[in-house]
Amino acid sequence: MNSKLLSKFVLSLGVLGVALTVTISLFSYLSSKEYLEEMYAQRVVSGSKSVATMLDIEDVRAIIGPGGEDSEVYSHVESMLNTLKKDGDITYLSLVIPDEDSVTFYIDTCVPEIGDNPANKLTYGTDVLYTDAAYDENDLQKYYYVWNLYAENRGTDKPIVTDNSYGYNYTAVSPILDEQGEAIAEIQYILDMQAVRDHLSSFLYKMLGISCTIICVALLLYIMLMKWMVLTPIEKLSRFTTEIIKSGNFKKQEIVINTKDEIEDLGNSFNAMLKKLEDYIGNLTAVTAEKERIGTELNVATHIQSSMLPCIFPAFPDRNELDIYATMTPAKEVGGDFYDFFMVDERHIAIVMADVSGKGVPAALFMVIGKTLIKDHTQPGRDLGEVFTEVNHILCESNDNGMFITAFEGVLDLITGEFRYVNAGHEKPFIYRKSEGYEAYKVRPGFVLAGMENIRYKEQIIQLHIGDKVFLYTDGVTEAMNKEHQLYGMDRLHHILNQQCQTCSPEKILELVKADIDAFVGDNDQFDDITMLCLEYTRKMKE
Amino acid sequence: MIINKKSEGTKLEILLEGRLDTTTSPMLETELKQSIDGLTELIFNFEKLEYISSAGLRILLAAQKIMNKQGSMVVKNVNEIIAEVFEVTGFSDILTIE
Repeated sequence: MNSKLLSKFVLSLGVLGVALTVTISLFSYLSSKEYLEEMYAQRVVSGSKSVATMLDIEDVRAIIGPGGEDSEVYSHVESMLNTLKKDGDITYLSLVIPDEDSVTFYIDTCVPEIGDNPANKLTYGTDVLYTDAAYDENDLQKYYYVWNLYAENRGTDKPIVTDNSYGYNYTAVSPILDEQGEAIAEIQYILDMQAVRDHLSSFLYKMLGISCTIICVALLLYIMLMKWMVLTPIEKLSRFTTEIIKSGNFKKQEIVINTKDEIEDLGNSFNAMLKKLEDYIGNLTAVTAEKERIGTELNVATHIQSSMLPCIFPAFPDRNELDIYATMTPAKEVGGDFYDFFMVDERHIAIVMADVSGKGVPAALFMVIGKTLIKDHTQPGRDLGEVFTEVNHILCESNDNGMFITAFEGVLDLITGEFRYVNAGHEKPFIYRKSEGYEAYKVRPGFVLAGMENIRYKEQIIQLHIGDKVFLYTDGVTEAMNKEHQLYGMDRLHHILNQQCQTCSPEKILELVKADIDAFVGDNDQFDDITMLCLEYTRKMKE
Repeated sequence: MIINKKSEGTKLEILLEGRLDTTTSPMLETELKQSIDGLTELIFNFEKLEYISSAGLRILLAAQKIMNKQGSMVVKNVNEIIAEVFEVTGFSDILTIE
């Protein structure tokens, strides 16, 4: 990670450096070039003008006149021009007369001391054809241009720039005018710009070289500084965290960074965070342990609750007058459903189905109380209305949480088939009779147990016959819900009982109903306990 | 479940929407605990309530017990499913259902 960061730095700074170098060098080069060219242009033009003005018109006439070459004036002017050429470092300085197709040289300066080759000196009266002198067509046009200016008695205001194998030159011409303002000859003033150009090029290379060096050194220093001030501490921090992550040991870890900047702050934040993390992990461990303990206890509670329900079948193997089966499928959370059945005496069997309001441990505890009270109070020959009235009274005394129980209890006389029952707000039982099938039996609702004091419950009686069945259940059956939020309902229960459970044993009936509920619910969660009980009166008991 | 309240002096109407079951009834319980003091008339409007479970019944019962002492309580616009629950559990005997 470190090297990546460093290479990013180097790359970005390198790009910046190159851009900076190129920009600075080009800018300096271009501005110097412009300045120098302007300066030389002025020098060429003003130089040619000064020379032309300086010459005496009579002297010029004498020189260009017949026998001018041998005159005293000629050598005088030539030596003067030679001095000018030498002092002014002029490449070519000549006195010429242009024509429409050629130019005649009268004085062509030559100073061997400054390196001029006398062999190249054009002798007096040399007539050079433009077509011979011109390098190319473009060059030729310049000669005509000069001629045209001369014909109008004018010189150049700007130098003529030629850049070919003859060299890189600035040329200026200025006419020598007579009294009438007519040009009689002109000064041709040429400066070699190659030196200037070479100077500029070398200037550019030097600029590039120098700025490149400066930037490289600065970059190097900067990178070293970055490495020392930023990368090394960050690397340290990174190593520190990696080690902690690897070892998983958060305790008593600390990193010391002394950079007096944001990285030091970051390091301190790390330390603070580790401290907090350590505390947090400590707390979490404690909370998790506590949760586990509670979870275990809840499991025990669930286990105790379910083991309180009679669950060994056949329940009465030595009795052939009845067949009974019951199941409870608890929902995730410990709930409050319960069923019960027991022999009140030799000829009476009691069945109970109940549901405590709410869920969780409070409901489970309340269920235990309710179940015990009902069983204790169900005595041979005792009126069931009285039983519930009494149970309700006791439950109300110790019910600060406002819980209640819906309950149904029935007692079957195995000799007479008389089924006495009492209801405290519980679901209607289904009674099966051979001739009529299963019907939800309309019973007197009665108020829930523990709901309100001084409620009087009333016992009712129906007559059962051999082969009749009683099916009890809780709202976990009718209110089982599918993904579409539909409830299983009484109609479906009624349907399955009558379609498939007419001749089945209680065990089979419960199995079929449960399967039907499961099919209806699909993979939706089970919200409530599903509890069912079925009693069949199979045979009359002998007296 | 959504609980809407309309209060007029010592009269309070509570409109319930959705399902009043184990998960939602604590909301109603908290709501009632805060506002039941000093009420003389408590109205439950069940027009938009779809379902009530035993946990919901418990809260109605608790409210009824309190209101028995300090005024009156009415349950209005009960749908068929809930009416059936009230009928089966015997709550229709102790609640005033309109």
